Amino acid sequence: MAVAAPTARELRTVQRRAMWALAGREMRRVLSLWTQTLLPPVLTGVIFLAVFGGVLGDRLQVADIDYLRFILPGLLVMTVVAQAFANNSTSLFQAKNEGYVEDVLSSPMQPWQLLVGYMSGGLLRAWLAAFVLWLLAWPFAGGIEHPAVTVAALGLCGLIFAALGVITGMWADTFDQHSFIANVLITPLAMVAGVFYSVDRLPQPWETLTYFDPIFYLVDATRYGYTGLQDTPTWAALTVAALVAAGVFALAVTLLRRGWRLKA
Amino acid sequence: MSDLEHQSAALWAEDVEKFYGDGTHALRGFSLHIPAGGFFGLLGPNGSGKSTLIGMISGLVRAPAGCISVFGCDVVAQAPHARLQVGVAPQDVHLDRFLTTREVLEYHGRYFGLARLEASRRADELLEAFDLTAKANTKPNRLSGGMRRRLLIARALVHRPRLLILDEPTAGVDLKLRRELWAYLRTLHQEHDTTVLLTTHYLEEAEELCERVGFIRGGQLIAQGAISELVERYGGDDLEDAYTEAMR
Repeated sequence: MAVAAPTARELRTVQRRAMWALAGREMRRVLSLWTQTLLPPVLTGVIFLAVFGGVLGDRLQVADIDYLRFILPGLLVMTVVAQAFANNSTSLFQAKNEGYVEDVLSSPMQPWQLLVGYMSGGLLRAWLAAFVLWLLAWPFAGGIEHPAVTVAALGLCGLIFAALGVITGMWADTFDQHSFIANVLITPLAMVAGVFYSVDRLPQPWETLTYFDPIFYLVDATRYGYTGLQDTPTWAALTVAALVAAGVFALAVTLLRRGWRLKA
Repeated sequence: MSDLEHQSAALWAEDVEKFYGDGTHALRGFSLHIPAGGFFGLLGPNGSGKSTLIGMISGLVRAPAGCISVFGCDVVAQAPHARLQVGVAPQDVHLDRFLTTREVLEYHGRYFGLARLEASRRADELLEAFDLTAKANTKPNRLSGGMRRRLLIARALVHRPRLLILDEPTAGVDLKLRRELWAYLRTLHQEHDTTVLLTTHYLEEAEELCERVGFIRGGQLIAQGAISELVERYGGDDLEDAYTEAMR
């Protein structure tokens, strides 16, 4: 028997279920492909920590704290940035490229629900990889000074790059385009965001230019949360991150509403 | 057509225009009204605008000029309401390769608002109806062409749509399976009161199933009516003759 048109309340239930179903599908994909989604970033992070924190750590000192403790917050940010972005851009790119994105595009979900559904996988992957990396480093790097700030910074970091990943997945028509953003924009911005050094050690104009890198604020806020050290006021860093997150989320919703590069 | 007829029509398309970015004028003042409970066949050559129309109804093609509504719900202004009433089995086979056959149905049901348990029950029901139970845990890329076609139709039915759209559902399907699908569609239409819009290049399929048929050419509906009316209007012995004459 066919169903009649739902009431507004029923429709909200329908849409909520749909969003959770998509989120569940995305998160399941991450967990079922854990050797591709979770293991590599944890391994990479551990190797960075072992090389820079362990092997070279004795010769490197920043702001009178152990170098491994200094770089860990930045490595957590790099992990969240790379994984949130890569997961969502890849998942949506595959869905678009293979055509099965039509399944969700023709569903009754609102654009923001589509976005949340697609972001879920990237957020799980990013936060879980960062959490495992932190657990492994904890005995060597020590505890967290301000847990709420650390969680807020890594949370915003995930939201920004998960949404950016969705936008890139919508934009990319080829695998080369898809890789371009990660290789040419995200990775370089992450590498010069002060993960391995304090920004005040840079000569001009590099010090000033670093302040234009949004990832710098995420690294700085996370480092403050973890170690108490900071280059910029934490409230400013978190405010910038929150504004960028809101802007990227709004942009992604607008593009999904228009069906940008998804609909003919 | 009165407002009441508009509200109760399964599909109501009026003066629909669609231009693509490359300048293609896919639909030109296209109008079509399918009453609730009808079985309508839309016939036309490749590139005549059939798939564009279906994309617009299901929300996969951007908002057109003109108006399209499904059971009184505008497909743009009331898109979520309209989409819940529609199930589409597309021409091209696009199935999520990370899911099994059962999961394809379950997730689709959940994307259209079914609770998890209900979606699971409905998936089992449809697997059985489409003789796919033995392949429930197989990934779609391991299914035969015919099985994938059946899965696409089953997927379109998971959320019990009032308007079922079948875009060349039996393309590449062997005769035996085609006849089985016809029997299933007849039952669905008659016993569950589902309105069906079918596009096909097999004219005998349209003759076998459809109560009314429309001819589309160059983005315009050039004729519609019962098969006997079209044959009478265009001459010849059957629908194929009428279609050939209309497309001249």
